[in-house]
Amino acid sequence: MTVTIATTHPHAQTPPRPGRDAPAARLTGVGKVFGRGADAVTALTGVDLRVAPGEFVVLLGASGCGKTTLLNLLAGLDEPTAGRVEVAARRPAVMFQEPALLPWLSAVRNVELPLRLSGVGRSARRQRAGELLDLVRLSGQANKRPHELSGGMRQRVALARALAATTNDGTTNDGTGGLLLMDEPFAALDAITRDFLQAELRRIWRAGDNAVVFVTHDVREAVRLGQRVVLLSSRPGTVVREWTVPEDHTDADRATLTEQITDRLREVISTHARV
Amino acid sequence: MPGSELLSDPGTDGHAAGGGSARDSAAVGAGLDALDTPTTRRRPLWSRVLRTGVPPLVALVATLAVWQLLWSAAIWSEYKLPAPLSVWHEFTKVVASGEIWGIVWTSVHRALLGFAASVVIATPLGLLVAKVRVVRAAIGPLLAGMQSLPSVAWVPAAVLWFGLTDATIYFVVLLGAVPSIANGLVAGIEQVPPILPRVGCVMGAGRIDSARLILLPAALPGYLAGCKQGWAFSWRSLMAAEIIAVSPQLGTGLGAYLKEGSDFNSMPGVIAAIFLILLVGIGIELLAFRPVERRILRSRGLAVTT
Repeated sequence: MTVTIATTHPHAQTPPRPGRDAPAARLTGVGKVFGRGADAVTALTGVDLRVAPGEFVVLLGASGCGKTTLLNLLAGLDEPTAGRVEVAARRPAVMFQEPALLPWLSAVRNVELPLRLSGVGRSARRQRAGELLDLVRLSGQANKRPHELSGGMRQRVALARALAATTNDGTTNDGTGGLLLMDEPFAALDAITRDFLQAELRRIWRAGDNAVVFVTHDVREAVRLGQRVVLLSSRPGTVVREWTVPEDHTDADRATLTEQITDRLREVISTHARV
Repeated sequence: MPGSELLSDPGTDGHAAGGGSARDSAAVGAGLDALDTPTTRRRPLWSRVLRTGVPPLVALVATLAVWQLLWSAAIWSEYKLPAPLSVWHEFTKVVASGEIWGIVWTSVHRALLGFAASVVIATPLGLLVAKVRVVRAAIGPLLAGMQSLPSVAWVPAAVLWFGLTDATIYFVVLLGAVPSIANGLVAGIEQVPPILPRVGCVMGAGRIDSARLILLPAALPGYLAGCKQGWAFSWRSLMAAEIIAVSPQLGTGLGAYLKEGSDFNSMPGVIAAIFLILLVGIGIELLAFRPVERRILRSRGLAVTT
Protein backbone atom coordinates (compact mmCIF):
# COMPACT_ATOMS: atom_id res chain seq x y z
CA MET A 1 0.00 0.00 0.00
CA THR A 2 1.51 3.26 -1.03
CA VAL A 3 0.45 6.40 0.65
CA THR A 4 1.48 9.77 -0.58
CA ILE A 5 1.54 12.43 2.01
CA ALA A 6 2.09 15.97 1.03
CA THR A 7 4.68 17.63 3.21
CA THR A 8 5.77 21.18 3.02
CA HIS A 9 8.65 22.89 4.69
CA PRO A 10 8.54 26.20 6.44
CA HIS A 11 8.55 29.27 4.21
CA ALA A 12 6.90 27.34 1.37
CA GLN A 13 3.25 27.18 2.30
CA THR A 14 0.22 27.11 0.14
CA PRO A 15 -3.05 28.17 1.74
CA PRO A 16 -5.47 25.24 1.61
CA ARG A 17 -8.46 27.48 0.93
CA PRO A 18 -7.20 29.77 -1.78
CA GLY A 19 -9.08 32.71 -3.18
CA ARG A 20 -8.67 35.10 -0.30
CA ASP A 21 -5.48 37.06 -0.10
CA ALA A 22 -5.18 38.51 3.41
CA PRO A 23 -4.19 35.82 5.92
CA ALA A 24 -6.15 35.42 9.16
CA ALA A 25 -2.84 35.62 11.00
CA ARG A 26 0.78 35.96 10.01
CA LEU A 27 3.92 35.62 12.11
CA THR A 28 7.17 36.81 10.54
CA GLY A 29 10.45 35.97 12.27
CA VAL A 30 8.79 36.09 15.65
CA GLY A 31 10.95 35.70 18.74
CA LYS A 32 10.11 36.03 22.38
CA VAL A 33 12.60 36.34 25.23
CA PHE A 34 11.49 36.50 28.84
CA GLY A 35 13.66 38.38 31.28
CA ARG A 36 17.01 39.88 30.37
CA GLY A 37 20.72 39.39 30.98
CA ALA A 38 21.90 36.07 32.39
CA ASP A 39 18.39 35.02 33.44
CA ALA A 40 16.88 35.53 29.99
CA VAL A 41 14.84 32.60 28.68
CA THR A 42 14.22 32.35 24.95
CA ALA A 43 10.72 30.92 24.48
CA LEU A 44 10.41 31.39 20.72
CA THR A 45 12.85 32.15 17.98
CA GLY A 46 12.42 32.77 14.25
CA VAL A 47 8.83 31.56 14.00
CA ASP A 48 7.22 32.04 10.59
CA LEU A 49 3.60 31.02 10.28
CA ARG A 50 0.76 31.96 8.01
CA VAL A 51 -2.82 31.04 8.74
CA ALA A 52 -5.20 31.42 5.81
CA PRO A 53 -8.76 32.63 6.40
CA GLY A 54 -10.90 29.73 7.49
CA GLU A 55 -7.92 27.40 7.85
CA PHE A 56 -7.52 24.86 10.66
CA VAL A 57 -3.88 24.81 11.81
CA VAL A 58 -2.66 22.58 14.61
CA LEU A 59 0.49 23.49 16.50
CA LEU A 60 2.13 20.36 17.87
CA GLY A 61 5.00 20.17 20.31
CA ALA A 62 6.33 18.76 23.57
CA SER A 63 6.56 20.73 26.79
CA GLY A 64 8.55 23.93 26.56
CA CYS A 65 7.92 24.52 22.88
CA GLY A 66 6.37 27.89 23.60
CA LYS A 67 2.89 26.88 22.40
CA THR A 68 1.16 28.96 25.02
CA THR A 69 3.51 31.90 24.42
CA LEU A 70 2.67 31.73 20.73
CA LEU A 71 -1.06 31.78 21.45
CA ASN A 72 -0.62 34.71 23.84
CA LEU A 73 1.15 36.61 21.09
CA LEU A 74 -1.66 35.85 18.64
CA ALA A 75 -4.28 36.80 21.22
CA GLY A 76 -2.53 40.12 21.78
CA LEU A 77 -1.94 39.34 25.45
CA ASP A 78 1.82 39.70 24.97
CA GLU A 79 4.24 41.47 22.65
CA PRO A 80 7.00 39.70 20.68
CA THR A 81 10.61 40.76 21.32
CA ALA A 82 11.46 40.19 17.66
CA GLY A 83 9.56 39.96 14.39
CA ARG A 84 5.98 40.85 13.57
CA VAL A 85 2.58 39.44 14.54
CA GLU A 86 -0.32 40.39 12.30
CA VAL A 87 -3.86 39.29 13.01
CA ALA A 88 -6.76 40.16 10.73
CA ALA A 89 -9.52 39.70 13.28
CA ARG A 90 -9.99 42.61 15.61
CA ARG A 91 -9.95 40.37 18.62
CA PRO A 92 -9.23 36.65 18.33
CA ALA A 93 -11.26 34.41 20.62
CA VAL A 94 -9.40 32.16 23.03
CA MET A 95 -10.39 28.84 24.53
CA PHE A 96 -8.35 27.40 27.38
CA GLN A 97 -7.74 23.94 28.75
CA GLU A 98 -10.24 24.70 31.52
CA PRO A 99 -13.70 25.88 30.51
CA ALA A 100 -13.13 29.00 32.68
CA LEU A 101 -16.85 29.73 32.81
CA LEU A 102 -18.08 32.25 35.34
CA PRO A 103 -19.64 29.98 37.97
CA TRP A 104 -22.40 32.40 38.98
CA LEU A 105 -23.77 32.81 35.45
CA SER A 106 -26.00 30.36 33.61
CA ALA A 107 -24.73 28.76 30.39
CA VAL A 108 -26.54 31.23 28.16
CA ARG A 109 -25.28 34.22 30.18
CA ASN A 110 -21.73 32.94 29.92
CA VAL A 111 -22.10 32.79 26.14
CA GLU A 112 -23.57 36.28 26.15
CA LEU A 113 -20.66 37.76 28.08
CA PRO A 114 -18.36 38.64 25.15
CA LEU A 115 -21.34 40.17 23.34
CA ARG A 116 -22.24 42.13 26.44
CA LEU A 117 -18.67 43.42 26.74
CA SER A 118 -18.77 44.69 23.18
CA GLY A 119 -22.04 46.47 23.73
CA VAL A 120 -24.50 44.25 21.85
CA GLY A 121 -28.10 44.89 22.94
CA ARG A 122 -29.87 42.50 25.28
CA SER A 123 -32.30 40.85 22.87
CA ALA A 124 -29.74 40.57 20.06
CA ARG A 125 -27.19 38.90 22.30
CA ARG A 126 -29.78 36.62 23.88
CA GLN A 127 -30.75 35.44 20.40
CA ARG A 128 -27.15 34.99 19.23
CA ALA A 129 -26.25 33.07 22.41
CA GLY A 130 -29.27 30.83 21.87
CA GLU A 131 -28.16 30.06 18.33
CA LEU A 132 -24.65 29.22 19.48
CA LEU A 133 -25.89 26.95 22.26
CA ASP A 134 -28.01 25.26 19.63
CA LEU A 135 -24.89 24.80 17.51
CA VAL A 136 -23.07 23.01 20.35
CA ARG A 137 -26.24 20.99 21.06
CA LEU A 138 -26.89 22.53 24.46
CA SER A 139 -30.07 24.49 23.84
CA GLY A 140 -31.85 22.51 26.53
CA GLN A 141 -29.27 23.44 29.17
CA ALA A 142 -29.24 27.21 28.59
CA ASN A 143 -30.35 28.09 32.09
CA LYS A 144 -28.15 25.66 33.97
CA ARG A 145 -25.17 26.88 35.92
CA PRO A 146 -21.71 25.48 35.11
CA HIS A 147 -21.64 23.25 38.21
CA GLU A 148 -24.81 21.54 36.98
CA LEU A 149 -23.11 20.52 33.72
CA SER A 150 -20.60 17.77 32.96
CA GLY A 151 -17.00 18.57 31.99
CA GLY A 152 -17.67 18.02 28.30
CA MET A 153 -20.78 20.18 28.38
CA ARG A 154 -18.88 22.98 30.13
CA GLN A 155 -16.20 22.87 27.47
CA ARG A 156 -18.93 23.11 24.80
CA VAL A 157 -20.36 26.16 26.54
CA ALA A 158 -16.82 27.59 26.49
CA LEU A 159 -16.66 26.82 22.76
CA ALA A 160 -19.98 28.62 22.20
CA ARG A 161 -18.64 31.57 24.18
CA ALA A 162 -15.45 31.64 22.12
CA LEU A 163 -17.54 31.54 18.94
CA ALA A 164 -19.57 34.47 20.28
CA ALA A 165 -16.31 36.32 20.85
CA THR A 166 -15.15 35.78 17.26
CA THR A 167 -18.15 37.69 15.98
CA ASN A 168 -18.58 40.20 18.72
CA ASP A 169 -17.86 43.47 16.97
CA GLY A 170 -21.21 43.52 15.19
CA THR A 171 -19.52 43.75 11.78
CA THR A 172 -19.36 40.00 11.38
CA ASN A 173 -19.86 39.50 7.70
CA ASP A 174 -16.87 41.24 6.21
CA GLY A 175 -15.95 37.99 4.50
CA THR A 176 -12.83 37.15 6.50
CA GLY A 177 -14.26 35.22 9.42
CA GLY A 178 -12.73 35.29 12.86
CA LEU A 179 -9.76 33.63 14.47
CA LEU A 180 -10.24 31.04 17.19
CA LEU A 181 -7.24 30.16 19.36
CA MET A 182 -7.49 26.93 21.30
CA ASP A 183 -4.96 26.01 23.99
CA GLU A 184 -5.24 22.22 24.50
CA PRO A 185 -8.98 22.57 25.07
CA PHE A 186 -9.71 18.84 25.36
CA ALA A 187 -6.63 17.75 27.31
CA ALA A 188 -8.46 17.57 30.66
CA LEU A 189 -11.38 15.47 29.38
CA ASP A 190 -11.83 11.71 29.45
CA ALA A 191 -11.14 9.80 26.23
CA ILE A 192 -14.76 9.24 25.17
CA THR A 193 -15.75 12.85 25.72
CA ARG A 194 -12.60 14.08 23.98
CA ASP A 195 -13.39 11.91 20.98
CA PHE A 196 -16.91 13.31 20.79
CA LEU A 197 -15.74 16.90 21.19
CA GLN A 198 -13.15 16.51 18.44
CA ALA A 199 -15.91 15.41 16.06
CA GLU A 200 -18.08 18.31 17.24
CA LEU A 201 -15.29 20.82 16.73
CA ARG A 202 -14.72 19.57 13.17
CA ARG A 203 -18.44 19.87 12.45
CA ILE A 204 -18.72 23.35 13.92
CA TRP A 205 -15.58 24.59 12.19
CA ARG A 206 -16.92 23.32 8.85
CA ALA A 207 -20.22 25.08 9.42
CA GLY A 208 -18.57 28.46 10.00
CA ASP A 209 -15.85 30.56 8.42
CA ASN A 210 -13.46 30.91 11.35
CA ALA A 211 -9.77 30.11 11.15
CA VAL A 212 -8.59 27.93 14.03
CA VAL A 213 -5.16 27.72 15.62
CA PHE A 214 -5.26 24.66 17.85
CA VAL A 215 -2.45 23.75 20.23
CA THR A 216 -1.94 20.16 21.35
CA HIS A 217 0.72 17.61 22.26
CA ASP A 218 -1.39 14.71 20.99
CA VAL A 219 -0.33 13.65 17.48
CA ARG A 220 -3.52 11.71 16.77
CA GLU A 221 -5.64 14.67 17.75
CA ALA A 222 -3.53 16.91 15.53
CA VAL A 223 -3.91 14.68 12.47
CA ARG A 224 -7.59 14.16 13.07
CA LEU A 225 -8.47 17.83 13.44
CA GLY A 226 -6.04 19.89 11.40
CA GLN A 227 -5.74 20.72 7.73
CA ARG A 228 -2.13 21.50 8.49
CA VAL A 229 0.04 20.24 11.34
CA VAL A 230 2.97 22.42 12.41
CA LEU A 231 5.63 20.74 14.56
CA LEU A 232 7.46 22.99 16.99
CA SER A 233 10.79 22.23 18.65
CA SER A 234 11.35 22.91 22.32
CA ARG A 235 13.50 25.44 24.20
CA PRO A 236 13.48 27.63 22.22
CA GLY A 237 10.36 26.93 20.19
CA THR A 238 10.61 27.21 16.45
CA VAL A 239 8.91 25.60 13.47
CA VAL A 240 10.59 22.27 12.63
CA ARG A 241 8.35 21.01 9.89
CA GLU A 242 4.80 21.11 8.60
CA TRP A 243 2.49 18.52 7.12
CA THR A 244 -0.64 19.11 5.11
CA VAL A 245 -3.34 16.60 5.97
CA PRO A 246 -5.11 15.51 2.78
CA GLU A 247 -8.81 16.35 2.83
CA ASP A 248 -10.06 12.95 1.71
CA HIS A 249 -7.65 10.67 3.55
CA THR A 250 -8.44 7.17 4.68
CA ASP A 251 -7.80 5.63 8.07
CA ALA A 252 -4.59 4.12 6.68
CA ASP A 253 -3.35 7.50 5.46
CA ARG A 254 -4.03 8.91 8.83
CA ALA A 255 -2.17 6.11 10.60
CA THR A 256 0.90 6.58 8.38
CA LEU A 257 0.91 10.31 8.84
CA THR A 258 0.48 9.95 12.60
CA GLU A 259 3.41 7.55 12.70
CA GLN A 260 5.58 9.83 10.63
CA ILE A 261 4.84 12.86 12.77
CA THR A 262 5.34 10.87 15.96
CA ASP A 263 8.76 9.72 14.77
CA ARG A 264 9.78 13.28 14.02
CA LEU A 265 8.45 14.48 17.36
CA ARG A 266 10.45 11.77 19.14
CA GLU A 267 13.56 12.84 17.29
CA VAL A 268 13.02 16.45 18.33
CA ILE A 269 12.46 15.47 21.96
CA SER A 270 15.50 13.15 22.10
CA THR A 271 17.87 15.91 20.96
CA HIS A 272 17.26 17.49 24.36
CA ALA A 273 18.65 14.44 26.16
CA ARG A 274 22.08 14.88 24.56
CA VAL A 275 22.58 18.44 25.71
CA MET B 1 -4.98 2.96 16.55
CA PRO B 2 -7.06 4.98 14.17
CA GLY B 3 -9.87 2.43 14.09
CA SER B 4 -10.50 2.79 17.81
CA GLU B 5 -12.47 6.00 17.55
CA LEU B 6 -16.01 5.65 18.66
CA LEU B 7 -17.40 8.25 16.38
CA SER B 8 -16.92 8.58 12.74
CA ASP B 9 -16.09 12.12 11.89
CA PRO B 10 -18.10 13.30 8.89
CA GLY B 11 -15.29 15.66 7.96
CA THR B 12 -12.38 13.29 7.80
CA ASP B 13 -14.22 10.26 6.59
CA GLY B 14 -14.97 11.74 3.24
CA HIS B 15 -18.15 12.49 1.44
CA ALA B 16 -19.82 9.16 1.97
CA ALA B 17 -20.44 9.93 5.59
CA GLY B 18 -23.55 12.00 5.65
CA GLY B 19 -26.52 12.40 7.91
CA GLY B 20 -26.16 8.91 9.33
CA SER B 21 -22.90 9.45 11.16
CA ALA B 22 -23.86 12.96 12.17
CA ARG B 23 -26.97 11.52 13.76
CA ASP B 24 -24.85 8.86 15.50
CA SER B 25 -22.57 11.56 16.83
CA ALA B 26 -25.55 13.54 18.12
CA ALA B 27 -26.89 10.42 19.79
CA VAL B 28 -23.54 9.67 21.44
CA GLY B 29 -23.38 13.28 22.58
CA ALA B 30 -26.86 13.14 24.04
CA GLY B 31 -25.99 9.87 25.78
CA LEU B 32 -22.78 11.32 27.23
CA ASP B 33 -24.67 14.38 28.44
CA ALA B 34 -27.29 12.23 30.11
CA LEU B 35 -24.67 10.02 31.79
CA ASP B 36 -22.26 12.74 32.87
CA THR B 37 -24.62 15.43 34.09
CA PRO B 38 -24.25 15.73 37.85
CA THR B 39 -27.47 14.73 39.53
CA THR B 40 -28.70 16.58 42.56
CA ARG B 41 -31.39 15.07 44.66
CA ARG B 42 -33.17 17.35 47.10
CA ARG B 43 -34.53 15.73 50.21
CA PRO B 44 -38.20 16.25 50.94
CA LEU B 45 -39.09 19.19 53.19
CA TRP B 46 -40.00 17.16 56.27
CA SER B 47 -36.68 15.33 56.07
CA ARG B 48 -34.73 18.58 55.83
CA VAL B 49 -36.63 20.09 58.78
CA LEU B 50 -36.00 16.93 60.76
CA ARG B 51 -32.29 16.92 59.96
CA THR B 52 -31.65 20.58 60.66
CA GLY B 53 -34.20 21.25 63.40
CA VAL B 54 -33.98 18.27 65.71
CA PRO B 55 -30.24 18.19 66.63
CA PRO B 56 -30.13 21.76 68.01
CA LEU B 57 -33.37 21.11 69.90
CA VAL B 58 -31.89 18.01 71.50
CA ALA B 59 -28.74 19.96 72.43
CA LEU B 60 -30.87 22.69 74.02
CA VAL B 61 -32.90 20.25 76.06
CA ALA B 62 -29.75 18.45 77.19
CA THR B 63 -28.16 21.73 78.31
CA LEU B 64 -31.26 22.66 80.29
CA ALA B 65 -31.34 19.20 81.87
CA VAL B 66 -27.69 19.40 82.97
CA TRP B 67 -28.27 22.90 84.29
CA GLN B 68 -31.33 21.78 86.26
CA LEU B 69 -29.38 18.81 87.66
CA LEU B 70 -26.43 20.97 88.72
CA TRP B 71 -28.80 23.42 90.36
CA SER B 72 -30.69 20.72 92.26
CA ALA B 73 -27.39 19.23 93.44
CA ALA B 74 -26.86 22.62 95.15
CA ILE B 75 -23.08 22.61 94.67
CA TRP B 76 -23.07 26.38 94.23
CA SER B 77 -25.22 28.83 96.12
CA GLU B 78 -28.38 30.15 94.54
CA TYR B 79 -26.96 33.60 93.69
CA LYS B 80 -24.19 32.00 91.66
CA LEU B 81 -26.26 29.42 89.80
CA PRO B 82 -29.98 30.22 89.67
CA ALA B 83 -32.57 27.68 88.59
CA PRO B 84 -33.50 27.66 84.90
CA LEU B 85 -37.03 28.51 85.96
CA SER B 86 -36.07 31.69 87.83
CA VAL B 87 -34.18 32.89 84.74
CA TRP B 88 -37.33 32.12 82.74
CA HIS B 89 -39.40 34.20 85.23
CA GLU B 90 -36.97 37.11 84.92
CA PHE B 91 -37.23 36.80 81.15
CA THR B 92 -41.03 36.71 81.09
CA LYS B 93 -41.07 39.69 83.48
CA VAL B 94 -39.15 41.87 81.00
CA VAL B 95 -41.30 40.61 78.17
CA ALA B 96 -44.56 41.19 80.06
CA SER B 97 -43.59 44.73 81.04
CA GLY B 98 -42.78 45.48 77.42
CA GLU B 99 -39.37 46.72 78.54
CA ILE B 100 -37.68 44.13 76.34
CA TRP B 101 -38.52 45.79 73.02
CA GLY B 102 -36.92 49.06 74.05
CA ILE B 103 -33.80 47.31 75.29
CA VAL B 104 -33.37 45.10 72.25
CA TRP B 105 -34.18 47.88 69.79
CA THR B 106 -31.66 50.27 71.40
CA SER B 107 -28.89 47.76 70.83
CA VAL B 108 -30.00 46.33 67.51
CA HIS B 109 -30.47 49.67 65.79
CA ARG B 110 -27.05 50.80 67.00
CA ALA B 111 -25.49 47.60 65.70
CA LEU B 112 -27.30 47.84 62.36
CA LEU B 113 -26.33 51.49 61.87
CA GLY B 114 -22.75 50.77 62.89
CA PHE B 115 -22.62 47.75 60.62
CA ALA B 116 -24.04 49.65 57.64
CA ALA B 117 -21.49 52.44 58.17
CA SER B 118 -18.74 49.81 58.42
CA VAL B 119 -19.76 48.26 55.10
CA VAL B 120 -19.73 51.68 53.44
CA ILE B 121 -16.25 52.43 54.79
CA ALA B 122 -14.72 48.96 54.49
CA THR B 123 -15.75 48.17 50.89
CA PRO B 124 -13.70 50.88 49.14
CA LEU B 125 -10.93 50.35 51.68
CA GLY B 126 -10.79 46.63 50.88
CA LEU B 127 -10.81 47.33 47.13
CA LEU B 128 -7.91 49.76 47.53
CA VAL B 129 -5.88 47.32 49.61
CA ALA B 130 -6.55 44.46 47.20
CA LYS B 131 -5.86 46.32 43.96
CA VAL B 132 -3.32 49.09 44.76
CA ARG B 133 0.07 47.71 45.64
CA VAL B 134 1.31 50.76 47.57
CA VAL B 135 -1.80 50.88 49.73
CA ARG B 136 -1.49 47.18 50.36
CA ALA B 137 2.13 47.45 51.43
CA ALA B 138 1.29 50.44 53.63
CA ILE B 139 -1.82 49.32 55.51
CA GLY B 140 -2.39 45.67 54.59
CA PRO B 141 -0.56 44.20 57.60
CA LEU B 142 -2.09 46.83 59.90
CA LEU B 143 -5.58 45.96 58.68
CA ALA B 144 -4.94 42.25 59.23
CA GLY B 145 -3.49 42.95 62.67
CA MET B 146 -6.47 45.11 63.66
CA GLN B 147 -8.62 42.00 63.45
CA SER B 148 -6.78 40.44 66.35
CA LEU B 149 -7.01 43.59 68.46
CA PRO B 150 -10.10 43.29 70.67
CA SER B 151 -12.12 46.40 69.97
CA VAL B 152 -12.99 46.66 73.68
CA ALA B 153 -9.44 47.98 74.03
CA TRP B 154 -10.65 51.15 72.29
CA VAL B 155 -13.42 51.85 74.82
CA PRO B 156 -11.31 53.75 77.38
CA ALA B 157 -9.75 55.91 74.67
CA ALA B 158 -13.14 56.54 73.05
CA VAL B 159 -14.66 57.56 76.41
CA LEU B 160 -11.84 60.07 76.91
CA TRP B 161 -12.25 61.44 73.37
CA PHE B 162 -16.00 61.52 72.97
CA GLY B 163 -17.34 61.22 76.54
CA LEU B 164 -20.28 58.98 77.32
CA THR B 165 -22.08 59.58 74.02
CA ASP B 166 -23.29 57.59 71.04
CA ALA B 167 -20.09 58.64 69.24
CA THR B 168 -18.08 56.48 71.66
CA ILE B 169 -20.24 53.46 70.91
CA TYR B 170 -20.17 53.89 67.12
CA PHE B 171 -16.43 54.48 67.17
CA VAL B 172 -15.86 51.15 68.92
CA VAL B 173 -18.30 49.31 66.63
CA LEU B 174 -16.62 50.69 63.51
CA LEU B 175 -13.15 49.73 64.68
CA GLY B 176 -14.44 46.24 65.36
CA ALA B 177 -16.25 45.66 62.07
CA VAL B 178 -14.31 47.60 59.41
CA PRO B 179 -11.13 45.45 59.46
CA SER B 180 -13.14 42.22 59.22
CA ILE B 181 -15.19 43.35 56.23
CA ALA B 182 -12.21 44.87 54.43
CA ASN B 183 -10.09 41.77 55.04
CA GLY B 184 -12.93 39.56 53.82
CA LEU B 185 -13.10 41.51 50.58
CA VAL B 186 -9.31 41.35 50.16
CA ALA B 187 -9.35 37.59 50.74
CA GLY B 188 -12.30 37.20 48.35
CA ILE B 189 -10.45 39.05 45.60
CA GLU B 190 -7.25 37.10 46.25
CA GLN B 191 -9.09 33.81 45.92
CA VAL B 192 -10.54 34.58 42.49
CA PRO B 193 -9.02 31.99 40.13
CA PRO B 194 -6.55 33.89 37.88
CA ILE B 195 -8.12 32.33 34.79
CA LEU B 196 -11.31 34.41 35.23
CA PRO B 197 -9.70 37.88 34.88
CA ARG B 198 -7.72 36.41 31.96
CA VAL B 199 -10.94 35.36 30.26
CA GLY B 200 -12.23 38.91 30.69
CA CYS B 201 -8.98 40.23 29.29
CA VAL B 202 -9.09 38.13 26.10
CA MET B 203 -12.71 39.14 25.58
CA GLY B 204 -11.63 42.76 25.73
CA ALA B 205 -13.03 43.79 29.11
CA GLY B 206 -11.70 47.12 30.34
CA ARG B 207 -10.76 47.75 33.97
CA ILE B 208 -14.23 48.86 35.01
CA ASP B 209 -16.11 46.13 33.13
CA SER B 210 -13.67 43.56 34.43
CA ALA B 211 -14.21 44.69 38.03
CA ARG B 212 -17.98 44.97 37.68
CA LEU B 213 -18.74 41.84 35.69
CA ILE B 214 -15.98 39.46 36.75
CA LEU B 215 -13.89 40.42 39.77
CA LEU B 216 -16.57 41.60 42.19
CA PRO B 217 -19.07 38.78 41.54
CA ALA B 218 -16.21 36.29 41.78
CA ALA B 219 -15.12 37.78 45.12
CA LEU B 220 -18.67 37.81 46.50
CA PRO B 221 -18.42 34.65 48.67
CA GLY B 222 -15.30 35.99 50.44
CA TYR B 223 -16.87 39.42 50.81
CA LEU B 224 -20.00 37.92 52.31
CA ALA B 225 -17.93 35.87 54.77
CA GLY B 226 -16.19 39.11 55.75
CA CYS B 227 -19.54 40.85 56.23
CA LYS B 228 -20.77 38.01 58.41
CA GLN B 229 -17.71 38.22 60.59
CA GLY B 230 -17.98 42.01 60.53
CA TRP B 231 -21.51 41.76 61.88
CA ALA B 232 -20.36 39.43 64.67
CA PHE B 233 -17.55 41.80 65.55
CA SER B 234 -19.78 44.87 65.54
CA TRP B 235 -22.30 43.09 67.77
CA ARG B 236 -19.71 42.08 70.36
CA SER B 237 -17.95 45.43 70.20
CA LEU B 238 -21.31 47.05 70.83
CA MET B 239 -21.92 44.87 73.88
CA ALA B 240 -18.47 45.69 75.25
CA ALA B 241 -19.06 49.39 74.72
CA GLU B 242 -22.52 49.30 76.29
CA ILE B 243 -21.29 47.42 79.35
CA ILE B 244 -18.42 49.81 79.99
CA ALA B 245 -19.92 53.10 78.87
CA VAL B 246 -23.12 53.33 80.92
CA SER B 247 -24.92 56.63 81.29
CA PRO B 248 -28.58 57.70 81.45
CA GLN B 249 -28.30 59.68 78.21
CA LEU B 250 -27.20 56.53 76.36
CA GLY B 251 -30.43 54.71 77.24
CA THR B 252 -30.62 51.06 78.21
CA GLY B 253 -29.35 48.62 75.63
CA LEU B 254 -28.70 44.95 76.17
CA GLY B 255 -25.20 45.67 77.50
CA ALA B 256 -26.50 48.18 80.02
CA TYR B 257 -29.25 45.76 81.02
CA LEU B 258 -26.62 43.09 81.65
CA LYS B 259 -24.54 45.54 83.70
CA GLU B 260 -27.67 46.47 85.68
CA GLY B 261 -28.26 42.80 86.53
CA SER B 262 -24.68 42.49 87.72
CA ASP B 263 -24.87 45.75 89.74
CA PHE B 264 -27.99 44.56 91.52
CA ASN B 265 -26.44 41.15 92.13
CA SER B 266 -29.28 39.54 90.16
CA MET B 267 -27.89 36.42 88.55
CA PRO B 268 -31.17 35.57 86.75
CA GLY B 269 -31.08 39.05 85.20
CA VAL B 270 -27.47 38.55 84.05
CA ILE B 271 -28.21 35.19 82.50
CA ALA B 272 -31.42 36.44 80.86
CA ALA B 273 -29.39 39.30 79.34
CA ILE B 274 -26.76 36.90 78.04
CA PHE B 275 -29.48 34.77 76.49
CA LEU B 276 -31.03 37.81 74.84
CA ILE B 277 -27.66 38.87 73.40
CA LEU B 278 -27.12 35.35 72.09
CA LEU B 279 -30.66 35.21 70.72
CA VAL B 280 -30.23 38.41 68.71
CA GLY B 281 -26.90 37.15 67.33
CA ILE B 282 -28.37 33.82 66.27
CA GLY B 283 -31.51 35.49 64.94
CA ILE B 284 -29.61 37.86 62.65
CA GLU B 285 -27.39 35.02 61.46
CA LEU B 286 -30.34 32.75 60.68
CA LEU B 287 -32.70 35.35 59.24
CA ALA B 288 -30.34 37.65 57.38
CA PHE B 289 -27.00 36.04 56.57
CA ARG B 290 -27.85 32.37 56.20
CA PRO B 291 -30.40 32.77 53.36
CA VAL B 292 -28.17 35.18 51.40
CA GLU B 293 -25.13 32.98 51.89
CA ARG B 294 -26.95 29.84 50.83
CA ARG B 295 -28.25 31.53 47.73
CA ILE B 296 -24.86 32.82 46.70
CA LEU B 297 -23.02 29.58 47.43
CA ARG B 298 -25.66 27.37 45.87
CA SER B 299 -25.69 29.36 42.63
CA ARG B 300 -21.95 28.68 42.39
CA GLY B 301 -22.26 25.01 43.28
CA LEU B 302 -20.37 25.56 46.54
CA ALA B 303 -23.07 24.82 49.11
CA VAL B 304 -23.77 21.34 50.35
CA THR B 305 -27.36 20.63 49.43
CA THR B 306 -29.17 19.00 52.29
